[in-house]
Amino acid sequence: MTTRLPQETHRRDAMRAAVRLAPLRRRIGRRRFDDKILPWLLLGPALVVTLGLILFPVIRTGWLSFTDAGLSSLVTGEFEFVGLQNYSGVLSDGHLRGVFVTTVVFGLACVAGTMVVGLGVALLLDQTFRGRRLLGILVLLPWAVPQVAAGVTWRWMFNDQYGVVNWLLVKGGLTGFEGFSWFNDRITAFVAIGIVVVWQSFPFVAISLLAGFRTIEEDLIDAARVDGAGWFQRLRYITLPMLKPLVLVLIIISTIWDFKIFDQIYVMTKGGPARSTEVLSIAVWREAFTKLDFGPASALAILMFFVLAAVTLIYVRLFREEVS
Amino acid sequence: MNRRSAARALLYPTAALVGLFSVGPFLWMVLTAIKPQHEISTKEPVFWPSEVVLERFASLFGGDFSRYLFNSFLVAAATVVIGVTIAALAGYALARFDLPMKRYLLLVMLSVQMFPLVVLIIPMFMVMRSLDLLDTYFALIISYLAFTTPLATWILRGFFISIPRELEEAAMVDGATRMGAIVRVIMPLAGPGIAATSILVFISAWNEFIFALTFINDETLRTLPVALNSLLGRATADWGTIMAGSVLFTLPIVIFFLLVHRRMTEGMISGAVKG
Repeated sequence: MTTRLPQETHRRDAMRAAVRLAPLRRRIGRRRFDDKILPWLLLGPALVVTLGLILFPVIRTGWLSFTDAGLSSLVTGEFEFVGLQNYSGVLSDGHLRGVFVTTVVFGLACVAGTMVVGLGVALLLDQTFRGRRLLGILVLLPWAVPQVAAGVTWRWMFNDQYGVVNWLLVKGGLTGFEGFSWFNDRITAFVAIGIVVVWQSFPFVAISLLAGFRTIEEDLIDAARVDGAGWFQRLRYITLPMLKPLVLVLIIISTIWDFKIFDQIYVMTKGGPARSTEVLSIAVWREAFTKLDFGPASALAILMFFVLAAVTLIYVRLFREEVS
Repeated sequence: MNRRSAARALLYPTAALVGLFSVGPFLWMVLTAIKPQHEISTKEPVFWPSEVVLERFASLFGGDFSRYLFNSFLVAAATVVIGVTIAALAGYALARFDLPMKRYLLLVMLSVQMFPLVVLIIPMFMVMRSLDLLDTYFALIISYLAFTTPLATWILRGFFISIPRELEEAAMVDGATRMGAIVRVIMPLAGPGIAATSILVFISAWNEFIFALTFINDETLRTLPVALNSLLGRATADWGTIMAGSVLFTLPIVIFFLLVHRRMTEGMISGAVKG
């Protein structure tokens, strides 16, 4: 067997090659599945949620805002296109127009309060003192308390007769607060709600700013100190300008939270007395689910969405201009 | 140096004040819950109760509250299992594959954080009603997926990106399929991230109020926040019981929260910055 027919060799080689190629070909097929089909299988359920539970409802709310959907359409499933009627109705309603102003003023006041308290606490936690670590954990607690529980607890603390807040104020010399009803008056009711909102949202701001402080190089601060800059000047001219992007993000996040406040108000005042503490989210809910006017409620919801988007955009603009 | 030492002298009182402001309301909640009845509604607040009363918890558990606790737990747990599974798969796909429209999908998912829930609730209510889902657990679980899945996807995507690609490529060279590599190599590595995300989703489902208030009329299906709110509606509020209910509602969350707060802060900030 010294000589071999060339043809035979060739065939054997081809067979060998085919055997060797089979797993490779399988792997190529698998590859195609892995790269082209698998991603969509993985993404599928999330797409269903995003399209079905977010995009559909938002678009549907937009559509409903141009219709007369209400109690009867719940039964019949039918409603008619009414054009801009809901929008003109909402905007010509004196009370609802006031609610827009209330929402913006209350929202911005809460954001300002949150940022001031948050910055203060962050600066405090940036110092070195005994118990700093413990305090760093304690200040997180308000963030962890569910909003409904916070509202309920503070409502008890703001109780007119037995509330611990009034007791403290009277002890501090403000005898006018003896038996004072916080929730009978619009302004004081909003003050009470605002305190709860700030109480719950300052920890996030404080912790984030503290993390931001740590990213600034020590050298820079030291150089400023050598040049004679005081503590406040260092804060004003170095720390805060350097953290501008972070501060912007925190303001935007706070705004988004504080313009949507529902739980605390519902639990503490239910929008009362006489609807005077209603903000947009409460007003939408009441139009929709106590009056069952889905059309106007949708219009209000869409307008609320645009108010929130507009405020966010204004922030971004302002900051961008200031940076450049 | 005089001003400096004055500032330092102020440090401890300020720290004490901040600590008290942070913890005080929570302590007052617990204290009211365990005080004897006659020490709750007093002109001078009683800061040190003469005895510890735990009967309110016992009677809450003996009454309907154990049912509300069960409802809250069931809805939150189901939301976690379904939501985090969906989010883990999608988060992986968005971390590893180049997909058309990926940018927009991520943007939509992030912007959900911005939507007021009342924008979603009206059409959801109408659809749930026509599908006869009102007054069922499904109504809550489905609506909770709407606001938990996108954030969970976003956060988990971040975790997957931080795991080196080479790890699953190595597994695939060794003959594993992509799916096999995901299940056996990547998911175990992402374990801590998945755990943290699960707790986050659990917290937001447990705390949710608007949907629970709107979709559930049947008293036996109520969740804790709605039950707590309805305790307030009584003519004379029984603050001892209300605070005991608040403690039951709050305590699990506080414990969970302290476990994951660091990741939560990171997730929210990075999510916001990248968007």
